Amino acid sequence: MRKLKISVKNLFKSFQRKNVLKNLDLKIYESESLSIIGESGSGKSILTRCIIGLIDYDQGTIDFEEFKNIKKLDSKAKMQYMSNFGILFQNSALLDSLNVEENLRLANRRDDLSPILDEVGLPINILKKYPSELSVGMQKRVGLARAIIKKPKILILDEPTTGLDPIIARQINILIKNLVRRKKITTITVTHDMDSVYEFGDYVAFLKNGIINWYGEAKTINVAKNKNLKNFINGV
Amino acid sequence: MYRWLDNILNLAKKFFILIFTFFHSIGEIIDFFLNCIKFAFIDKFYFNIFLKQFVKIGFNSLPVVGLTSIFTGMVLALQSYTGFSRFSAESAIPNVVVLSITRELAPVLAGLMVAGRSGAAIAAEIGTMKVTEQIDALRTLSTNPFNYLIIPRILAGIISLPMLVFIGDIIGVLGGYLICVNLLNFNPTVYLQNTYNFVQFIDVFSGLVKASVFGFLITFMGCYHGFNAKGGAQGVGQSTTYSVVSSSILILLMNYIITSFFFKL
Repeated sequence: MRKLKISVKNLFKSFQRKNVLKNLDLKIYESESLSIIGESGSGKSILTRCIIGLIDYDQGTIDFEEFKNIKKLDSKAKMQYMSNFGILFQNSALLDSLNVEENLRLANRRDDLSPILDEVGLPINILKKYPSELSVGMQKRVGLARAIIKKPKILILDEPTTGLDPIIARQINILIKNLVRRKKITTITVTHDMDSVYEFGDYVAFLKNGIINWYGEAKTINVAKNKNLKNFINGV
Repeated sequence: MYRWLDNILNLAKKFFILIFTFFHSIGEIIDFFLNCIKFAFIDKFYFNIFLKQFVKIGFNSLPVVGLTSIFTGMVLALQSYTGFSRFSAESAIPNVVVLSITRELAPVLAGLMVAGRSGAAIAAEIGTMKVTEQIDALRTLSTNPFNYLIIPRILAGIISLPMLVFIGDIIGVLGGYLICVNLLNFNPTVYLQNTYNFVQFIDVFSGLVKASVFGFLITFMGCYHGFNAKGGAQGVGQSTTYSVVSSSILILLMNYIITSFFFKL
Protein backbone atom coordinates (compact mmCIF):
# COMPACT_ATOMS: atom_id res chain seq x y z
CA MET A 1 0.00 0.00 0.00
CA ARG A 2 1.61 3.28 -1.15
CA LYS A 3 1.50 6.09 1.38
CA LEU A 4 1.03 9.59 -0.03
CA LYS A 5 3.77 12.05 0.94
CA ILE A 6 3.34 15.09 -1.28
CA SER A 7 0.24 16.06 -3.20
CA VAL A 8 0.35 18.65 -5.97
CA LYS A 9 -3.06 19.71 -7.30
CA ASN A 10 -4.02 21.99 -10.19
CA LEU A 11 -0.75 23.86 -10.07
CA PHE A 12 -0.31 26.97 -12.20
CA LYS A 13 2.80 29.09 -12.44
CA SER A 14 3.59 31.78 -14.97
CA PHE A 15 6.43 34.23 -15.51
CA GLN A 16 5.72 37.47 -17.35
CA ARG A 17 2.54 36.09 -18.96
CA LYS A 18 4.28 32.85 -19.99
CA ASN A 19 2.59 29.83 -18.43
CA VAL A 20 5.28 27.45 -17.23
CA LEU A 21 3.09 25.06 -15.23
CA LYS A 22 -0.50 24.53 -16.39
CA ASN A 23 -2.94 22.76 -14.13
CA LEU A 24 -0.36 20.22 -13.04
CA ASP A 25 -1.24 17.29 -10.77
CA LEU A 26 1.32 15.02 -9.17
CA LYS A 27 1.45 12.61 -6.24
CA ILE A 28 4.67 11.56 -4.56
CA TYR A 29 4.64 8.50 -2.33
CA GLU A 30 6.73 7.60 0.70
CA SER A 31 10.07 5.83 0.20
CA GLU A 32 9.74 6.02 -3.56
CA SER A 33 12.12 7.61 -5.97
CA LEU A 34 10.41 9.80 -8.56
CA SER A 35 12.34 11.04 -11.56
CA ILE A 36 11.02 14.14 -13.28
CA ILE A 37 12.25 14.29 -16.85
CA GLY A 38 11.56 16.59 -19.76
CA GLU A 39 13.09 18.99 -22.23
CA SER A 40 14.77 22.21 -21.13
CA GLY A 41 12.12 24.79 -20.30
CA SER A 42 9.41 22.20 -19.69
CA GLY A 43 9.01 23.38 -16.08
CA LYS A 44 10.86 20.65 -14.15
CA SER A 45 12.99 22.95 -12.02
CA ILE A 46 10.09 25.37 -11.44
CA LEU A 47 7.95 22.46 -10.24
CA THR A 48 10.57 21.33 -7.71
CA ARG A 49 11.14 24.92 -6.56
CA CYS A 50 7.40 25.24 -5.96
CA ILE A 51 7.43 21.96 -4.01
CA ILE A 52 10.40 23.07 -1.88
CA GLY A 53 8.74 26.44 -1.25
CA LEU A 54 11.46 28.54 -2.86
CA ILE A 55 8.96 30.18 -5.21
CA ASP A 56 5.23 30.75 -4.82
CA TYR A 57 2.83 29.23 -7.33
CA ASP A 58 -0.05 31.25 -8.79
CA GLN A 59 -2.90 28.76 -8.30
CA GLY A 60 -3.44 25.27 -6.96
CA THR A 61 -2.20 23.57 -3.80
CA ILE A 62 0.80 21.66 -2.55
CA ASP A 63 0.27 19.60 0.61
CA PHE A 64 2.89 17.78 2.64
CA GLU A 65 1.97 16.02 5.88
CA GLU A 66 0.50 18.66 8.23
CA PHE A 67 1.47 21.52 5.89
CA LYS A 68 -1.54 22.35 3.71
CA ASN A 69 -1.25 24.71 0.73
CA ILE A 70 2.30 25.75 1.49
CA LYS A 71 1.93 29.07 -0.34
CA LYS A 72 -0.13 30.34 2.58
CA LEU A 73 2.50 29.53 5.24
CA ASP A 74 4.10 32.45 7.11
CA SER A 75 7.88 32.85 6.99
CA LYS A 76 8.51 30.82 10.17
CA ALA A 77 6.25 27.93 9.14
CA LYS A 78 7.79 28.03 5.65
CA MET A 79 11.25 27.63 7.18
CA GLN A 80 9.97 24.71 9.23
CA TYR A 81 8.47 23.20 6.10
CA MET A 82 11.72 23.61 4.16
CA SER A 83 13.68 21.86 6.88
CA ASN A 84 12.02 18.61 5.73
CA PHE A 85 13.90 18.76 2.45
CA GLY A 86 17.50 17.90 1.66
CA ILE A 87 18.51 19.37 -1.68
CA LEU A 88 21.41 18.71 -4.00
CA PHE A 89 21.45 21.76 -6.26
CA GLN A 90 22.51 21.63 -9.89
CA ASN A 91 25.86 23.33 -9.22
CA SER A 92 26.04 21.98 -5.68
CA ALA A 93 25.54 25.54 -4.33
CA LEU A 94 28.19 25.18 -1.65
CA LEU A 95 28.92 28.50 0.04
CA ASP A 96 32.22 29.71 -1.46
CA SER A 97 33.25 31.60 1.64
CA LEU A 98 32.97 28.54 3.90
CA ASN A 99 35.07 25.40 3.95
CA VAL A 100 33.55 21.93 3.65
CA GLU A 101 33.17 21.53 7.41
CA GLU A 102 31.41 24.89 7.77
CA ASN A 103 29.15 24.07 4.82
CA LEU A 104 28.13 20.79 6.44
CA ARG A 105 27.71 22.46 9.83
CA LEU A 106 25.09 24.76 8.31
CA ALA A 107 22.93 21.67 7.90
CA ASN A 108 23.85 19.84 11.09
CA ARG A 109 25.58 21.49 14.04
CA ARG A 110 26.02 18.51 16.35
CA ASP A 111 26.64 15.15 14.71
CA ASP A 112 30.04 13.70 13.91
CA LEU A 113 30.87 14.40 10.26
CA SER A 114 33.10 11.39 9.52
CA PRO A 115 30.26 8.83 8.98
CA ILE A 116 28.56 11.08 6.43
CA LEU A 117 31.83 11.70 4.58
CA ASP A 118 32.34 7.94 4.55
CA GLU A 119 28.87 7.45 3.11
CA VAL A 120 29.51 9.76 0.17
CA GLY A 121 33.05 8.47 -0.35
CA LEU A 122 35.05 11.48 0.74
CA PRO A 123 38.23 11.48 2.89
CA ILE A 124 38.18 13.24 6.28
CA ASN A 125 41.00 15.63 5.26
CA ILE A 126 38.60 17.36 2.87
CA LEU A 127 36.89 19.16 5.74
CA LYS A 128 39.25 22.15 5.77
CA LYS A 129 39.17 22.63 2.00
CA TYR A 130 37.14 25.32 0.27
CA PRO A 131 34.71 24.52 -2.58
CA SER A 132 37.02 26.20 -5.12
CA GLU A 133 39.73 23.66 -4.22
CA LEU A 134 37.48 20.69 -5.07
CA SER A 135 36.66 19.02 -8.38
CA VAL A 136 33.06 19.22 -9.64
CA GLY A 137 32.52 15.57 -8.70
CA MET A 138 33.77 16.16 -5.16
CA GLN A 139 31.57 19.25 -4.87
CA LYS A 140 28.58 17.09 -5.82
CA ARG A 141 29.51 14.60 -3.11
CA VAL A 142 29.82 17.38 -0.52
CA GLY A 143 26.49 18.79 -1.74
CA LEU A 144 24.94 15.34 -1.35
CA ALA A 145 26.45 14.97 2.13
CA ARG A 146 24.99 18.37 3.09
CA ALA A 147 21.59 17.30 1.73
CA ILE A 148 21.40 14.03 3.70
CA ILE A 149 23.23 15.00 6.90
CA LYS A 150 20.11 16.71 8.25
CA LYS A 151 18.14 13.49 7.80
CA PRO A 152 15.50 14.97 5.50
CA LYS A 153 12.12 13.39 4.84
CA ILE A 154 12.41 14.26 1.16
CA LEU A 155 15.61 14.31 -0.87
CA ILE A 156 15.59 16.50 -3.97
CA LEU A 157 18.28 16.07 -6.58
CA ASP A 158 18.43 18.78 -9.25
CA GLU A 159 20.38 17.48 -12.24
CA PRO A 160 22.79 15.41 -10.09
CA THR A 161 25.06 14.44 -12.99
CA THR A 162 25.16 17.71 -14.95
CA GLY A 163 28.68 18.84 -15.76
CA LEU A 164 30.26 15.52 -14.88
CA ASP A 165 32.18 13.21 -17.19
CA PRO A 166 30.50 9.82 -17.85
CA ILE A 167 32.70 7.95 -15.35
CA ILE A 168 32.09 10.35 -12.46
CA ALA A 169 28.40 10.64 -13.45
CA ARG A 170 28.09 6.85 -13.17
CA GLN A 171 29.83 6.90 -9.76
CA ILE A 172 27.42 9.60 -8.53
CA ASN A 173 24.41 7.66 -9.87
CA ILE A 174 25.53 4.49 -8.06
CA LEU A 175 26.23 6.46 -4.90
CA ILE A 176 22.75 8.03 -4.98
CA LYS A 177 21.15 4.64 -5.74
CA ASN A 178 22.85 3.04 -2.73
CA LEU A 179 21.90 5.93 -0.44
CA VAL A 180 18.29 6.00 -1.61
CA ARG A 181 17.89 2.21 -1.32
CA ARG A 182 19.62 2.00 2.06
CA LYS A 183 17.88 4.95 3.70
CA LYS A 184 14.51 4.32 1.98
CA ILE A 185 14.21 8.05 1.60
CA THR A 186 11.55 9.66 -0.60
CA THR A 187 13.46 11.15 -3.52
CA ILE A 188 12.59 13.55 -6.32
CA THR A 189 15.17 13.77 -9.08
CA VAL A 190 15.08 16.34 -11.85
CA THR A 191 17.23 15.09 -14.67
CA HIS A 192 18.00 14.89 -18.37
CA ASP A 193 20.21 11.91 -17.78
CA MET A 194 18.36 8.67 -18.57
CA ASP A 195 21.10 6.68 -16.79
CA SER A 196 20.01 8.36 -13.53
CA VAL A 197 16.40 7.33 -14.25
CA TYR A 198 17.34 3.71 -14.94
CA GLU A 199 19.71 3.58 -11.96
CA PHE A 200 17.52 4.78 -9.12
CA GLY A 201 14.10 5.89 -10.39
CA ASP A 202 11.03 3.91 -9.21
CA TYR A 203 8.55 6.14 -11.02
CA VAL A 204 8.94 8.67 -13.80
CA ALA A 205 6.97 11.82 -14.54
CA PHE A 206 7.56 13.20 -18.04
CA LEU A 207 6.86 16.92 -18.30
CA LYS A 208 5.93 18.54 -21.56
CA ASN A 209 4.75 22.15 -21.89
CA GLY A 210 4.01 22.52 -18.19
CA ILE A 211 1.91 19.37 -17.69
CA ILE A 212 2.64 15.74 -16.85
CA ASN A 213 2.53 14.13 -20.26
CA TRP A 214 3.36 10.64 -19.05
CA TYR A 215 3.62 9.01 -15.63
CA GLY A 216 4.53 5.42 -14.89
CA GLU A 217 7.00 2.97 -13.46
CA ALA A 218 10.59 3.48 -14.50
CA LYS A 219 10.91 -0.11 -15.70
CA THR A 220 8.10 0.43 -18.21
CA ILE A 221 9.51 3.61 -19.69
CA ASN A 222 11.07 1.90 -22.69
CA VAL A 223 7.84 0.18 -23.68
CA ALA A 224 5.68 3.26 -23.18
CA LYS A 225 3.61 4.24 -26.21
CA ASN A 226 3.73 7.99 -25.59
CA LYS A 227 5.26 9.53 -28.71
CA ASN A 228 6.69 12.61 -26.94
CA LEU A 229 8.37 10.41 -24.34
CA LYS A 230 9.80 8.14 -27.02
CA ASN A 231 11.20 11.14 -28.88
CA PHE A 232 12.72 12.49 -25.67
CA ILE A 233 14.39 9.16 -24.78
CA ASN A 234 15.70 8.69 -28.31
CA GLY A 235 16.82 12.31 -28.51
CA VAL A 236 14.72 13.01 -31.59
CA MET B 1 -1.87 62.12 -39.18
CA TYR B 2 -2.29 58.65 -37.67
CA ARG B 3 1.45 58.08 -37.75
CA TRP B 4 1.95 61.27 -35.76
CA LEU B 5 -0.66 60.17 -33.19
CA ASP B 6 0.90 56.72 -33.02
CA ASN B 7 4.31 58.25 -32.20
CA ILE B 8 2.81 60.40 -29.45
CA LEU B 9 0.99 57.41 -27.93
CA ASN B 10 4.15 55.29 -28.06
CA LEU B 11 6.08 58.05 -26.34
CA ALA B 12 3.38 58.37 -23.66
CA LYS B 13 3.42 54.58 -23.16
CA LYS B 14 7.19 54.59 -22.69
CA PHE B 15 6.90 57.47 -20.26
CA PHE B 16 4.29 55.68 -18.13
CA ILE B 17 6.31 52.44 -18.18
CA LEU B 18 9.30 54.43 -16.94
CA ILE B 19 7.24 56.00 -14.15
CA PHE B 20 5.78 52.61 -13.22
CA THR B 21 9.24 50.97 -13.18
CA PHE B 22 10.59 53.78 -10.99
CA PHE B 23 7.83 53.44 -8.39
CA HIS B 24 8.04 49.65 -8.60
CA SER B 25 11.77 49.85 -7.76
CA ILE B 26 11.07 52.22 -4.87
CA GLY B 27 8.47 49.78 -3.56
CA GLU B 28 10.92 46.87 -3.82
CA ILE B 29 13.61 48.84 -1.96
CA ILE B 30 11.16 49.71 0.82
CA ASP B 31 10.04 46.07 1.03
CA PHE B 32 13.69 44.95 1.28
CA PHE B 33 14.34 47.54 3.99
CA LEU B 34 11.29 46.47 6.01
CA ASN B 35 12.38 42.83 5.75
CA CYS B 36 15.80 43.82 7.12
CA ILE B 37 14.14 45.56 10.09
CA LYS B 38 11.73 42.67 10.70
CA PHE B 39 14.32 39.89 10.61
CA ALA B 40 16.84 41.92 12.62
CA PHE B 41 14.46 41.75 15.56
CA ILE B 42 12.86 38.33 15.21
CA ASP B 43 15.72 36.11 14.08
CA LYS B 44 19.26 35.11 15.00
CA PHE B 45 22.18 37.59 14.88
CA TYR B 46 25.42 36.18 13.43
CA PHE B 47 28.07 38.00 15.44
CA ASN B 48 31.03 36.21 13.78
CA ILE B 49 29.89 37.28 10.34
CA PHE B 50 29.39 40.82 11.60
CA LEU B 51 32.99 40.86 12.88
CA LYS B 52 34.33 39.50 9.57
CA GLN B 53 32.42 42.17 7.65
CA PHE B 54 33.55 44.85 10.08
CA VAL B 55 37.16 43.96 9.24
CA LYS B 56 36.42 43.74 5.50
CA ILE B 57 34.48 46.99 5.20
CA GLY B 58 36.21 49.01 7.91
CA PHE B 59 39.73 47.89 8.62
CA ASN B 60 40.60 46.82 5.05
CA SER B 61 39.40 50.18 3.69
CA LEU B 62 41.76 52.07 5.99
CA PRO B 63 44.68 52.40 3.51
CA VAL B 64 42.42 53.77 0.75
CA VAL B 65 40.65 56.20 3.08
CA GLY B 66 43.95 57.21 4.72
CA LEU B 67 45.61 57.97 1.38
CA THR B 68 42.58 59.89 0.13
CA SER B 69 42.44 61.95 3.32
CA ILE B 70 46.13 62.82 3.49
CA PHE B 71 46.29 63.98 -0.12
CA THR B 72 43.05 65.92 0.24
CA GLY B 73 44.42 67.69 3.33
CA MET B 74 47.64 68.50 1.48
CA VAL B 75 45.90 69.84 -1.62
CA LEU B 76 43.49 71.84 0.52
CA ALA B 77 46.36 73.51 2.37
CA LEU B 78 48.14 74.37 -0.89
CA GLN B 79 45.02 75.71 -2.59
CA SER B 80 43.99 77.72 0.47
CA TYR B 81 47.47 79.22 0.66
CA THR B 82 47.44 80.42 -2.96
CA GLY B 83 44.06 82.09 -2.38
CA PHE B 84 44.52 83.43 1.13
CA SER B 85 47.99 84.85 0.54
CA ARG B 86 46.43 87.34 -1.90
CA PHE B 87 44.82 89.15 1.01
CA SER B 88 47.28 88.14 3.77
CA ALA B 89 44.94 85.71 5.48
CA GLU B 90 47.35 82.73 5.65
CA SER B 91 46.62 82.24 9.34
CA ALA B 92 43.10 81.04 8.41
CA ILE B 93 44.47 78.00 6.56
CA PRO B 94 44.35 75.62 9.57
CA ASN B 95 40.73 76.64 10.15
CA VAL B 96 39.72 76.02 6.55
CA VAL B 97 41.52 72.67 6.46
CA VAL B 98 39.99 71.30 9.65
CA LEU B 99 36.50 72.55 8.84
CA SER B 100 36.48 71.24 5.28
CA ILE B 101 37.95 67.91 6.25
CA THR B 102 35.75 67.14 9.26
CA ARG B 103 32.47 68.48 7.89
CA GLU B 104 32.61 67.50 4.23
CA LEU B 105 35.65 66.01 2.60
CA ALA B 106 36.51 63.13 4.90
CA PRO B 107 32.96 61.71 5.11
CA VAL B 108 32.10 62.23 1.43
CA LEU B 109 35.40 61.00 0.01
CA ALA B 110 35.55 58.05 2.43
CA GLY B 111 31.95 57.24 1.51
CA LEU B 112 32.67 57.31 -2.21
CA MET B 113 35.86 55.26 -1.77
CA VAL B 114 34.11 52.62 0.35
CA ALA B 115 31.18 52.57 -2.11
CA GLY B 116 33.63 51.75 -4.91
CA ARG B 117 35.53 49.25 -2.85
CA SER B 118 33.21 47.51 -0.41
CA GLY B 119 29.80 48.32 -1.94
CA ALA B 120 30.86 46.77 -5.23
CA ALA B 121 32.37 43.76 -3.45
CA ILE B 122 29.17 43.19 -1.45
CA ALA B 123 26.99 43.39 -4.56
CA ALA B 124 29.29 41.05 -6.48
CA GLU B 125 29.52 38.51 -3.65
CA ILE B 126 25.80 38.39 -2.89
CA GLY B 127 24.93 38.56 -6.61
CA THR B 128 27.14 35.56 -7.31
CA MET B 129 25.56 33.71 -4.41
CA LYS B 130 22.14 34.51 -5.84
CA VAL B 131 22.82 33.31 -9.38
CA THR B 132 24.60 30.15 -8.20
CA GLU B 133 21.67 29.20 -5.92
CA GLN B 134 23.74 29.60 -2.73
CA ILE B 135 21.04 31.86 -1.25
CA ASP B 136 18.38 29.25 -2.04
CA ALA B 137 20.63 26.65 -0.41
CA LEU B 138 20.83 28.82 2.72
CA ARG B 139 17.06 29.06 2.91
CA THR B 140 16.66 25.30 2.64
CA LEU B 141 19.20 24.90 5.45
CA SER B 142 16.91 26.86 7.80
CA THR B 143 19.20 29.88 7.62
CA ASN B 144 17.52 33.18 6.92
CA PRO B 145 19.61 34.95 4.22
CA PHE B 146 18.64 38.34 5.64
CA ASN B 147 20.12 37.45 9.01
CA TYR B 148 23.10 35.61 7.58
CA LEU B 149 24.09 37.91 4.71
CA ILE B 150 22.37 41.27 4.86
CA ILE B 151 22.02 42.45 8.46
CA PRO B 152 25.66 41.82 9.54
CA ARG B 153 26.92 43.73 6.50
CA ILE B 154 24.61 46.70 7.00
CA LEU B 155 25.46 46.90 10.69
CA ALA B 156 29.19 46.65 9.94
CA GLY B 157 28.83 49.54 7.47
CA ILE B 158 26.91 51.73 9.90
CA ILE B 159 29.49 51.22 12.67
CA SER B 160 32.75 51.06 10.73
CA LEU B 161 32.31 54.11 8.48
CA PRO B 162 32.28 56.69 11.34
CA MET B 163 35.46 55.10 12.73
CA LEU B 164 37.08 55.26 9.30
CA VAL B 165 36.03 58.87 8.89
CA PHE B 166 37.32 59.84 12.33
CA ILE B 167 40.72 58.39 11.43
CA GLY B 168 40.40 60.11 8.03
CA ASP B 169 39.77 63.43 9.84
CA ILE B 170 43.01 63.10 11.79
CA ILE B 171 45.03 62.03 8.73
CA GLY B 172 43.52 64.84 6.62
CA VAL B 173 44.41 67.48 9.18
CA LEU B 174 47.88 65.93 9.39
CA GLY B 175 48.20 66.30 5.58
CA GLY B 176 47.45 70.02 5.85
CA TYR B 177 49.89 70.31 8.77
CA LEU B 178 52.70 68.62 6.81
CA ILE B 179 52.33 71.01 3.88
CA CYS B 180 51.96 74.15 6.00
CA VAL B 181 54.86 73.37 8.34
CA ASN B 182 57.32 71.87 5.86
CA LEU B 183 56.52 73.80 2.70
CA LEU B 184 54.88 77.04 3.77
CA ASN B 185 56.98 77.65 6.90
CA PHE B 186 54.12 77.73 9.41
CA ASN B 187 54.93 77.46 13.09
CA PRO B 188 53.89 73.87 14.07
CA THR B 189 52.59 74.84 17.52
CA VAL B 190 50.58 77.76 16.17
CA TYR B 191 49.11 75.58 13.42
CA LEU B 192 47.97 72.91 15.88
CA GLN B 193 46.75 75.51 18.37
CA ASN B 194 44.70 77.23 15.66
CA THR B 195 43.21 73.93 14.54
CA TYR B 196 42.34 72.90 18.11
CA ASN B 197 40.84 76.26 19.03
CA PHE B 198 38.75 76.56 15.91
CA VAL B 199 37.21 73.11 15.57
CA GLN B 200 33.93 72.48 17.41
CA PHE B 201 32.26 69.29 18.51
CA ILE B 202 29.44 69.74 16.00
CA ASP B 203 31.93 69.85 13.09
CA VAL B 204 33.29 66.41 13.88
CA PHE B 205 29.95 65.01 15.03
CA SER B 206 28.08 66.02 11.87
CA GLY B 207 30.79 64.30 9.81
CA LEU B 208 30.45 61.12 11.84
CA VAL B 209 26.65 61.14 11.50
CA LYS B 210 27.07 61.53 7.75
CA ALA B 211 29.54 58.65 7.74
CA SER B 212 27.08 56.41 9.56
CA VAL B 213 24.32 57.24 7.07
CA PHE B 214 26.72 56.68 4.15
CA GLY B 215 27.76 53.34 5.67
CA PHE B 216 24.12 52.30 5.71
CA LEU B 217 23.53 53.47 2.13
CA ILE B 218 26.61 51.72 0.74
CA THR B 219 25.96 48.36 2.37
CA PHE B 220 22.20 48.49 1.88
CA MET B 221 22.45 49.27 -1.84
CA GLY B 222 25.19 46.63 -2.27
CA CYS B 223 23.03 44.01 -0.54
CA TYR B 224 19.84 45.04 -2.34
CA HIS B 225 21.32 44.97 -5.83
CA GLY B 226 23.25 41.77 -5.14
CA PHE B 227 20.18 40.06 -3.69
CA ASN B 228 18.16 40.97 -6.78
CA ALA B 229 20.80 40.00 -9.33
CA LYS B 230 19.41 37.96 -12.22
CA GLY B 231 21.00 35.89 -14.96
CA GLY B 232 24.66 34.96 -14.91
CA ALA B 233 27.89 36.91 -14.89
CA GLN B 234 26.26 39.79 -16.77
CA GLY B 235 23.59 40.15 -14.09
CA VAL B 236 26.21 40.19 -11.35
CA GLY B 237 28.22 42.86 -13.22
CA GLN B 238 25.08 44.92 -13.65
CA SER B 239 24.20 44.66 -9.94
CA THR B 240 27.73 45.85 -9.05
CA THR B 241 27.39 48.87 -11.34
CA TYR B 242 23.92 49.73 -10.01
CA SER B 243 25.18 49.41 -6.45
CA VAL B 244 28.12 51.80 -6.91
CA VAL B 245 26.17 54.34 -8.98
CA SER B 246 23.10 54.41 -6.72
CA SER B 247 25.05 54.56 -3.47
CA SER B 248 27.34 57.34 -4.85
CA ILE B 249 24.36 59.45 -5.91
CA LEU B 250 22.59 58.83 -2.60
CA ILE B 251 25.74 59.78 -0.69
CA LEU B 252 25.87 63.16 -2.45
CA LEU B 253 22.15 63.71 -1.97
CA MET B 254 22.19 62.76 1.72
CA ASN B 255 25.30 64.87 2.23
CA TYR B 256 23.30 67.95 1.22
CA ILE B 257 20.29 66.96 3.36
CA ILE B 258 22.37 66.27 6.49
CA THR B 259 24.43 69.42 6.03
CA SER B 260 21.30 71.56 5.75
CA PHE B 261 19.89 69.82 8.83
CA PHE B 262 22.97 70.43 10.99
CA PHE B 263 23.94 73.88 9.80
CA LYS B 264 20.66 75.72 9.19
CA LEU B 265 21.41 79.31 8.44
